[in-house]
Amino acid sequence: MAVQSPPAPTQAPPAAGPPAPGAAPGRWTDRVAAALRQTPGQLRGVLVVLAVLILGAGVTGMTSILAKSAVIEETTSQSGRLSVAALQLYQALSQADATAASSYLTAGTPSEEMNETYRTALRDATVALATAAGEVKTAEDVELVAQLNARLPVYTGLVETARTFNRLGEPVGATYQEQASTLMRQEMLPSAHTLQENALAQLTESRDGAAAFPWAAAALVIAALGTLVWAQLWLTRKTNRTFNLGLVGATVLLVVFAGWLAMASLASAGHTNRSHEEGSGPLELLAQAEIAAQQARAEESLLLIARGEDDDAATRYAEHIEELTADGGLFDQLDAAFADDAGLGAKVDAARDAATAWSNGHGEVVKLAQEGNYTEAVALAVGDDEASLQTSFNGLNAALTEATETSADRFVDATLDAQRTLSGAAAGLAALSLAALICAAVGIQVRVAEYYA
Amino acid sequence: MNRTGRTAAAFAAAACLALAACSGPASMEPPSIDVPTPLPDGINFSPDASPADTDVSCDPLSSYSPGAVTAEQARALLENPEQISIGISQSTNLMGYRDPETNDLAGFDIDIAEAMVQAVMGDATKVRWVPMNSAEREQALADGRVDMVVRTMSINCERWENVEFSTEYYHAGQRLLVAKDSGITGLAEMTADQQVCTGASSTSVGNIAAVNPEVQPVTVPDFNDCLVLLQQGTVDGVAIDDTILAGMAVQDPTLQVVGDAFSEEHYGIAFQKGDTDLARFVNGALADMIADGRWQASYDAWLAGPLATGPAALTTQYRD
Repeated sequence: MAVQSPPAPTQAPPAAGPPAPGAAPGRWTDRVAAALRQTPGQLRGVLVVLAVLILGAGVTGMTSILAKSAVIEETTSQSGRLSVAALQLYQALSQADATAASSYLTAGTPSEEMNETYRTALRDATVALATAAGEVKTAEDVELVAQLNARLPVYTGLVETARTFNRLGEPVGATYQEQASTLMRQEMLPSAHTLQENALAQLTESRDGAAAFPWAAAALVIAALGTLVWAQLWLTRKTNRTFNLGLVGATVLLVVFAGWLAMASLASAGHTNRSHEEGSGPLELLAQAEIAAQQARAEESLLLIARGEDDDAATRYAEHIEELTADGGLFDQLDAAFADDAGLGAKVDAARDAATAWSNGHGEVVKLAQEGNYTEAVALAVGDDEASLQTSFNGLNAALTEATETSADRFVDATLDAQRTLSGAAAGLAALSLAALICAAVGIQVRVAEYYA
Repeated sequence: MNRTGRTAAAFAAAACLALAACSGPASMEPPSIDVPTPLPDGINFSPDASPADTDVSCDPLSSYSPGAVTAEQARALLENPEQISIGISQSTNLMGYRDPETNDLAGFDIDIAEAMVQAVMGDATKVRWVPMNSAEREQALADGRVDMVVRTMSINCERWENVEFSTEYYHAGQRLLVAKDSGITGLAEMTADQQVCTGASSTSVGNIAAVNPEVQPVTVPDFNDCLVLLQQGTVDGVAIDDTILAGMAVQDPTLQVVGDAFSEEHYGIAFQKGDTDLARFVNGALADMIADGRWQASYDAWLAGPLATGPAALTTQYRD
């Protein structure tokens, strides 16, 4: 590699003085225009253009990477936290309602397990509400959270009144329980659902942002590289020397910069998509399945609580089961999502089997109730027996919960991978662009200096 | 520091304080949301009222005279001669309901039905209870799902087209249930800003309007919701058949049934169309039950307390 040596004088005669001599003192544009007619001025001009491009590429590259990490941070925190909280809220409320309705059927003396499940569901719901309240950012979401907050104590009040009347042996307890479920079904669950959809929409928006390629930074890097190459060719023509070490160094650094930027962006987009496809997508499906199961369970209990007076409960039960088991229903979608994962696939199969056992048993419960064997119907529905629907329902729930845990781990892993890819990239890109800038400046300044040597 | 400098510093400090006061969490208006009032599904605050139709197309209270039909002849008409199927309610407190503690059927209707089972089958256990809601009653008989229905079913000419009725076994009427401390003693004195709850049939709304056109009627699909609404203070009174009101009053010591009945409902046992011999036999059994005091004993056990009156007189009429 040729090293700097005094330049052969070129066609442009060296300028006599530092301020471009040919220029009449006047407007600065005139002075710049005059300077650019001289080689040192031209060299400085090239340096300015290079500096703008390299710094631009560095700054946009760094900010886009920082933005990506922020988004990934957000998917695991902010709107990520909101969507998780909204989902947990929805699940917990469905579970509270299903448990309250089932335990009403046990004639005033719910099992300790049922009491515990109900209390846990209420705790989860209130914690999720508090979390959501801290994360919401739109007026609509604030209102939804406030509505849910206002209704939850009304709901629990109705449930406790129902329990008390039930203990006293007064049938009006059943009406209170139905009213509680109506409040839950018609006002609270829809609010929780809307909150969850809003959070997911915000999440998808930022996810698209994270997956986007940093085109601005890429364009600037290419422009900077192009200018560098052109500048070297131009210098070679002017100075008859092939290489300018500074500019070559800057070129190499910028090539590394471009490679790192592309790699980090593509990899993080891949990770983000993976976390969506393998993590949050199936997580949403699993949560939906769990919610549908809980709601079907609540309707099944209401059917028995209403003692045959509530045909709508039967319809709603059938709708929720349909949602789960129909062709293209939630189980089918889960099977598709876990097609290449035997472990998760097996759990979905277990859930499907439990759901089938449950819905077969449900037919038996309805038949018993219609025939007047109410006590047997209740025992089959909420008893502790191996063959009871409580057992199949618990099995379904357990399978879905296990699948949810595995899926949640994958989501976190993918997000961590994405963050690892990006970690250091922002600082590295900033350092590379600064180094490239210094190299270019040194390389050009050496040439400029030769004119004044 | 000179004077100007000091003023500037003071300004800067003030500006900082002001900024600090303004900053902080994003200032979002607190949301305004409605006070949550739990209301039942399908509640109607402005129901249609139509006057009760005076049934003159037939003489609804006239049933078949007992004559000389034997229990055997009656049993021959059953879907299964070894087991009689009876349609009942399991959700109407004091009439036909499940005791929440034992899950067993109990109530005035059940007493009547059990007496009929004993009479027809000679064995109180040869029975299959079929719970049903009021809309299912006629269809269940037409389909042969049940042999008879004892479920607060009013006798009227329209129903006579599809089923056979026994003689009247209970004379019911719409009355008013209010809080004891409300001071209301009858429907007529309720005011325009008071609300009275009833079932979703337009006739019961019409009956209320005929007595008191001022009071605001509210209807719910399931009349059990009326009691909850009264307990929650959403309505001031409940105006339904006294049998239903008794079942509500007995659950809440702060409520009472007041005023006279302002409509007439005659409950009868319904049979499949054409099962006249079963109707005849049951009419005989009913007459025995009324004559030997079992009917009165059942009334006293279930309804006398909450209604705080004696029973309205029964009409026992035969068409042949």
